[in-house]
Amino acid sequence: MSQIVFENVVKRFGDTVAVEEMNLSVEQGEFLAIMGSSGCGKTTTLRMLAGLETPSDGEIRLNGKRINELKPSERETPLVWQSLALFPFLSVIQNVEFGLRMRGIDAEQRKKQALVWLEKMEIADLAERQIDQLSGGQKQRVALARALVTEPPVLLLDEPLSALDANLVVRMQGVLSRLQKDLGITFIYVTHSQSEAFAMADRVVIMSQGKIEQVGAPLEVFRKPASRFVAEFVGSNNIFGGKVQSIEGTVVNIETALGLMTAEWENRAALSVSDAVEVVISADNFEITSTKGENENAIRCSVVSEEFIGTVVSLLLETESGVELKIQKQQREIAELDLHVGTELWINWVPDAVYLLP
Amino acid sequence: MNTDRLIRWAIWLYLLVVFVFVFTPIITSVIFSFNSDRFPTVPLGSFTTKWYQTVISDPDFWKAVRTSLLVSVCSGVLATLIGFCTAYTDFRYQFRFKGAYIALALLPPTIPLIILALAMLAWLSKIGASGQVWSIIIAHTVLCAPFAMGVIRLRLQQMDPDLESAAWNLGASEWSAMKNVVLPFAKPALVSAFCLTMAVSFDEFTVSWFVSGLNKTIPVAILEVLQGTVDPQINAIGTFVFFTSMTLVIIAQLIFTARTNRSS
Repeated sequence: MSQIVFENVVKRFGDTVAVEEMNLSVEQGEFLAIMGSSGCGKTTTLRMLAGLETPSDGEIRLNGKRINELKPSERETPLVWQSLALFPFLSVIQNVEFGLRMRGIDAEQRKKQALVWLEKMEIADLAERQIDQLSGGQKQRVALARALVTEPPVLLLDEPLSALDANLVVRMQGVLSRLQKDLGITFIYVTHSQSEAFAMADRVVIMSQGKIEQVGAPLEVFRKPASRFVAEFVGSNNIFGGKVQSIEGTVVNIETALGLMTAEWENRAALSVSDAVEVVISADNFEITSTKGENENAIRCSVVSEEFIGTVVSLLLETESGVELKIQKQQREIAELDLHVGTELWINWVPDAVYLLP
Repeated sequence: MNTDRLIRWAIWLYLLVVFVFVFTPIITSVIFSFNSDRFPTVPLGSFTTKWYQTVISDPDFWKAVRTSLLVSVCSGVLATLIGFCTAYTDFRYQFRFKGAYIALALLPPTIPLIILALAMLAWLSKIGASGQVWSIIIAHTVLCAPFAMGVIRLRLQQMDPDLESAAWNLGASEWSAMKNVVLPFAKPALVSAFCLTMAVSFDEFTVSWFVSGLNKTIPVAILEVLQGTVDPQINAIGTFVFFTSMTLVIIAQLIFTARTNRSS
């Protein structure tokens, strides 16, 4: 039995639908990331789990029991808030003790348990500090300790890393991943950041306008987007409309803006000649050469712009017919090509690199 | 550079003028309260505390002090309580006509005191409650609650709206979240609202004069002394009232700003 089940859950605010007919199951011990741009319903979903919003329709079950009507205080679903929402008038340890105090646990036991968690978060030496004396990363750890001190079966996280700087984000991702593995409890992590979701989650849910677009492992979502929205959302994909010309076994020839291209397509049953299809080629699936390569698919391009982000270079190319292409390459791989704006080159790609949207 | 200095001098001068205008009469009153002459004239007579002795030995004065303290403490508590409830409603709930609700809650200080006093007198005597100590308390609570609401509302606006939800999320019932999160957060504002409303009530004359009947508060007692004679006792009482109110207001200010700065 799944630990958390959303069954046809709908949430309306007046006339606007925040979450539409959501069906989702989460397994015990899973790290699930819910991802989408702002206003897609991901935070509303999380708040419904915490009991801060009541579903307008449908049913949410925790361990098989309907929890729609439970008050927030009657659930074991602590939340790590985007704003952290630490109590500014309490010290670090008093913040961590709060959940235990609300459960009527005596002072001595409370303190002992809180200290255990402060130690796990490596901030035991800050126990007596006031909240405003802490750095961003330290506050983060207090928020985690405060949520976990009651040893809940599920932890909800609402963009907890959005206020931290890039270095700290990567560090905290490590902390969270390890914590989740060690505790073996379910983490439900809401974020708009693809890198956070992909780095930590076992499964990713992509939401748009209140609907789930795709649920899957990060790599699956990245390589096999279920819809055009996902293909655009998860990053640097080139998407073209096309028309099937011929099908030979698993090889499909498609007429696109880049000319005729060959695709390797297992699931050919769904396709027939002259079907309209959408072709996705990920930005890292192209080879760049100075002469025409040996791959089935190749086209001549020139460099429009170049963006250097550390070890990776993002290129914007243009074909002779004016189609723009996004390409990402390791800086080392293309160093010898000596690319600059206007350089003419060949790009080529294997049939396997071509993905057809369902 | 030169204009900079000019502006700075102008600001200092302005400040000086403000302080002179505000404090000269008060300081004069303090000085004359220790002056042995019956009439406030320069040059001064010798130093004396006899006006204070007269005041202290006057049972009417003590009665007025007792009434004033009782009234200001009670209406301070009531006004703070009502002010907190209104401010919290504003913080927590969204509803139709909320703007009207807030405007209504803030209305009393905008009504001319004399009108408010007459209305209070008419209403209180209609329900047979005029001339009592608690008639003054009711009237002052009405007058002071908006001040308390203003101060507390300012504080609640600084509160992360997630804070209360966070308490529920950690297992606190609504009452428990109120007791353990909202009230502690608002505490500096509650204390300063109490001090402030107490000071307002302590100083207030017009409404007190209309509804107090025989239960004179200090400002009413002062007027009654003045109506009879010019008596330097007034200076002594004035000094006492001034320092009481100032102390309350300063405490209110200190608590509010200190706590607000620390937690923001």
